[in-house]
Amino acid sequence: MLDRVGARRVLLIAALAVAVLVGAVAATNLQDQAVYYLTPSEAKAQGIVIGRTVRLGGLVKTGSMSSADLRGANDFRFVITDGTVDVQIVATGAIPGLLREDAGAVVEGAFVDDGTFHATQVIAKHDEVYKAPPAGATPAHRTGFP
Amino acid sequence: MTETTIPRGNTLPRIRPWLGIAAAASFVVASVMALFWAPTDAVQGNVYRILYVHVPLAWLAYLAFVVVFLASVGWLWTKNPLFDAIAVASAEIGVLFTGLFLVAGSIWAKPTWGVWWTWEPRLVTTAIMFVMYVGYLLLRGLSTDFSRRATRAAVFGIIAVIDVPIVHLSVLWANSLHQLPTVLRAGGAPALDSSMLLTLMVSLGAYTLIYAYLMTSRISLELARQVRLWTT
Repeated sequence: MLDRVGARRVLLIAALAVAVLVGAVAATNLQDQAVYYLTPSEAKAQGIVIGRTVRLGGLVKTGSMSSADLRGANDFRFVITDGTVDVQIVATGAIPGLLREDAGAVVEGAFVDDGTFHATQVIAKHDEVYKAPPAGATPAHRTGFP
Repeated sequence: MTETTIPRGNTLPRIRPWLGIAAAASFVVASVMALFWAPTDAVQGNVYRILYVHVPLAWLAYLAFVVVFLASVGWLWTKNPLFDAIAVASAEIGVLFTGLFLVAGSIWAKPTWGVWWTWEPRLVTTAIMFVMYVGYLLLRGLSTDFSRRATRAAVFGIIAVIDVPIVHLSVLWANSLHQLPTVLRAGGAPALDSSMLLTLMVSLGAYTLIYAYLMTSRISLELARQVRLWTT
């Protein structure tokens, strides 16, 4: 009914070897090649192509963000920076409520002729730190049940 | 067929109802703590509370696939059919939990990131994990020869587990969107308030009991199927 134990143990060792091999290849290659977004410096180093769709990521520069009432007005502006290179973003469409100055953001869109970046999608990044707001303060982003 | 004819795991039917009661009770406690007792988050507000569902489900999915791996090694090493029952049970629950934590993550992503889905490393590697274990379950349907089916599945179960550490470490790759690990941080205390950590641990306990309950149920079912397979 059952096949030989010996052959199966060879199969076991072969499977383990394949697993380790796949893991090693994936870990070394994916890390370098799976680029989700470019930093402004990386985009500049690659050479900016007008009109090509890319994702840019970095920090929203302090003091660069349009006032909140412009959210969704198709002319929402902020600057994405990596500390070295700044890119002026002009965003259309919905702006996530969590988008804040001095916090991470990823934008999808393309550079246009005047050197600004027209974003069709803005994604806000948040970090891995969770803590209660200080006494009396309200959360920056109020969602969910009241 | 009554449960007394199950050849192995005779203690399972006895502890199962108690596991079920413990799982249900701890789930209620965890839900109350997550929704009402834990403080809101300073940045995200109340929406962060989905963490108490998303994170335990993700960890239990990892655990489920590691159990598939260990049971697959056990089958290939010993030919004991109990290991195949453990592997299929854990794989099914792992697929269920992965599907649920992907949905929970998506529901969390829309109000915070602003998108339901995006092709960033953690999400892509998780989607691959989901599809691979759905494939594992499909592979099990390709043969009715018990031994052949179990051996093929075991080889797949050993190779597929390699995506589990890749999913966990993918957030450490450059230029990802998903936040870094909060609890299992390299060289640091968990980055959340102690009351939040306690709530998360109670939730983790509850989902672990749910996993254990589902495992005992599914393993019993599979052992009964094995008996039927060999007696007909």
